[in-house]
Amino acid sequence: MDFANYQLEASIYDEMFNTDGSPRQHCRELYKTLFELTDTDLLEMQERVTRSFYQEGITFIVYGDEAATERIIPIDSVPRLVPQAEWRHIESGLDQRLRALNRFLEDVYNDAKIIADGVIPTDVVRGCPQYRIEMRGLSAPHGAWVSICGTDLIRTNDGYAVLEDNLRVPSGVSYMIETRKVIKANFRNAYRGSQVLDVEHYGRLLHQTLTELAPSGVTDPTIALLTPGVYNSAFYEHMFLAREIGAELVEGRDLLVNDGFVFMRTTTGLRRVDVIYRRVDDDFLDPIVFRPDSLLGVPGLLHAYRLGNVALVNAPGTGVADDKSVYSFVPDMIRYYLSEEPILANVDTRLCRRPEDLEYTLDNLEHLVVKQVGGSGGYGMLIGPHATKEERDEFAAEIRADPANYISQPVLALSRAPCLIDDRFEPRHVDLRPFVLRGSKTRMVPGGFCRIALKEGSLVVNSSQGGGAKDIWVLGD
Amino acid sequence: MGRYLERANFMCRLLRSQADALVDRPIREIHFGWRRIYTAIDRQPLGGILHLHPMDDYNLVDAYFLADELTFERSNPESLLSCFENGRENARQMRHCISDEMWTSLNTEYLRIQNLEMPDIWHSSPSTFYSRVSAAIDMFSGVATATMYRDEGWHFWRFGQFIERLQFACSLLLAQQRLQKSALDYDESDWGSLLRVFHALDVYERRYSIEIDPKLALNLLVSDRQLPESLRRTVGRAGQELASIGDGPNQQSSDAGQRLAGRLEALIRFDWEDRDDDEAFLMQVRSYSWQLHHLVSSTYFDYAAEDIPQFLSR
Repeated sequence: MDFANYQLEASIYDEMFNTDGSPRQHCRELYKTLFELTDTDLLEMQERVTRSFYQEGITFIVYGDEAATERIIPIDSVPRLVPQAEWRHIESGLDQRLRALNRFLEDVYNDAKIIADGVIPTDVVRGCPQYRIEMRGLSAPHGAWVSICGTDLIRTNDGYAVLEDNLRVPSGVSYMIETRKVIKANFRNAYRGSQVLDVEHYGRLLHQTLTELAPSGVTDPTIALLTPGVYNSAFYEHMFLAREIGAELVEGRDLLVNDGFVFMRTTTGLRRVDVIYRRVDDDFLDPIVFRPDSLLGVPGLLHAYRLGNVALVNAPGTGVADDKSVYSFVPDMIRYYLSEEPILANVDTRLCRRPEDLEYTLDNLEHLVVKQVGGSGGYGMLIGPHATKEERDEFAAEIRADPANYISQPVLALSRAPCLIDDRFEPRHVDLRPFVLRGSKTRMVPGGFCRIALKEGSLVVNSSQGGGAKDIWVLGD
Repeated sequence: MGRYLERANFMCRLLRSQADALVDRPIREIHFGWRRIYTAIDRQPLGGILHLHPMDDYNLVDAYFLADELTFERSNPESLLSCFENGRENARQMRHCISDEMWTSLNTEYLRIQNLEMPDIWHSSPSTFYSRVSAAIDMFSGVATATMYRDEGWHFWRFGQFIERLQFACSLLLAQQRLQKSALDYDESDWGSLLRVFHALDVYERRYSIEIDPKLALNLLVSDRQLPESLRRTVGRAGQELASIGDGPNQQSSDAGQRLAGRLEALIRFDWEDRDDDEAFLMQVRSYSWQLHHLVSSTYFDYAAEDIPQFLSR
């Protein structure tokens, strides 16, 4: 299949092609493979990939008014390639960023020096709904408040930039691994020929990380993955990860706290749990401390955590560091805590809580992306150039009513990559979510979850809004 | 998972028997078959009480709707699709406990049948459809036997399968007995089709005769030691699985479960021969099997932490 009708735009970085239409150096092998495949071969391959996801049940469930629908994230069979030098840059940037974010969390829940020194305003931190006063005075093992992080990166003609840090319960890692399994089975020769670096040992790295976080004196910890339950849309991932790390998959009702220790019900009795990889939001973790109506959590869990008898991963309260207002201060955190210059850039962000930024945002709404500080999944945002005047006016009124709840950013030309759309290659915008682990040290697999905005021209890559995914191949030297 | 799939398999075989009967059996026999199914699952058809029409055509139209309700009707929890879907959903929820091969085997069949409707199977060969689904469930069991780790998950799955088999078989035999008593023109072919559902017709013919004696047929289905789906063999297997699971958190409850399983097995092994109240006997077996089901649930899964000596001693 050729790329005859594949459209390039100079203002948008293309992951496979130079601006003159020639394939980038590191993409030549894959380009040749794609070029040599017939249309039928490729379409059959795409069909196999989709069927494989359905058969393996790699699905998420959408609950409608009447019935639940099981869906897969549409997987594009053409991988996105990243040369190793670029990956090293990403890796060191993410390591730096996570170290700084963990220092920030340790600081704001203890001495709050960064606030006292005027680097970040008090109200940005303490006014954030994700700031958990219950966590004040606590420390995390190895200083790792965030041990599992999924950072969203975008690429423009200026290079990579961080769009947001997901520090609470980042998801998508199961798709990274499952997509790899399926895609490499379909591109066997190109895969071997390209010396693609492995991502399938993620489970081992995660297990090592969680083991390091066990309470002091516990060398062979019992690890449990706490899921909100089988009706959660990410349940497949919870089950997948529990298997990958050999952990017990539990719901809140399977756990109980007695005498400051956490126990799991088993068919032979109670068994102590040392490390909990929780996929339940802070609000629902412990009804005694957080939401009293929560049925998903475990009464007394935070008490056991405070006593140091169980590790919670990620720690409660980490959401304050991935709030979209706090995000804009991450480069300052890196300078403040690490005395280093940020390796990965932030996207220029204006906080509407500041009068001058509010005025700028309202005056330039048609050129900006505006987001709620606590929003996620592509909801609660406005993409100015794609919105109608009525939509912009309506959003402006909402911003004026609660300015502190909004930030604005320029509309960025996310890079594009070739995707098989119907029966031909078309460019689609993509982002990249690598997963970073942090115990006593930082661990990463070379790859990530690459999301695609499947709709032509769209910049919204979220799977909840019709986005797809593709494999990322980080190439060996 | 084990229970739902076992029930789905029974339903497949009953419906296949009905689909076969529709080709060449008398209307009375077909009617008896429908009533046997509905009595066994303790339901009324959506359209109300079953009537035997004097004209063939009415009965054939009825057959279509009855088969649809028992095959694809999602609002009927006993339908083949409902049972299969529930079994598959249970498997989805415990995928971390089963092998990949088990999941793929079950899910592939689910994807094949989930969007089918009655017209898709009725005008070609409904028997083939039911046979294929039944074979897929058997294959799932085979894949499980070949690939699943023999931990407690395996034993609980098998235990559920045998308890369901025991209960469904009791219900089916009770339905047969009751309908037989009330039928004016009872026919031995009604037992023939039942033996076929239990994979026992060939065995019966080899062992006894091609003429079917209801008493001998019932005896075979209840007390035969080698017939895979006889009550005696099934209850023995359930007891073995329970013994393999071992003690639960509370020794007293575990012991009570073992005692009940033993009592149930003894009832079939030693009491059956001397009893002449078949219906009361079958009801007793079914009642014991329910008690056993609840006892196992409360012993291993739904126990109160405060009831565990280990908890109290901390």
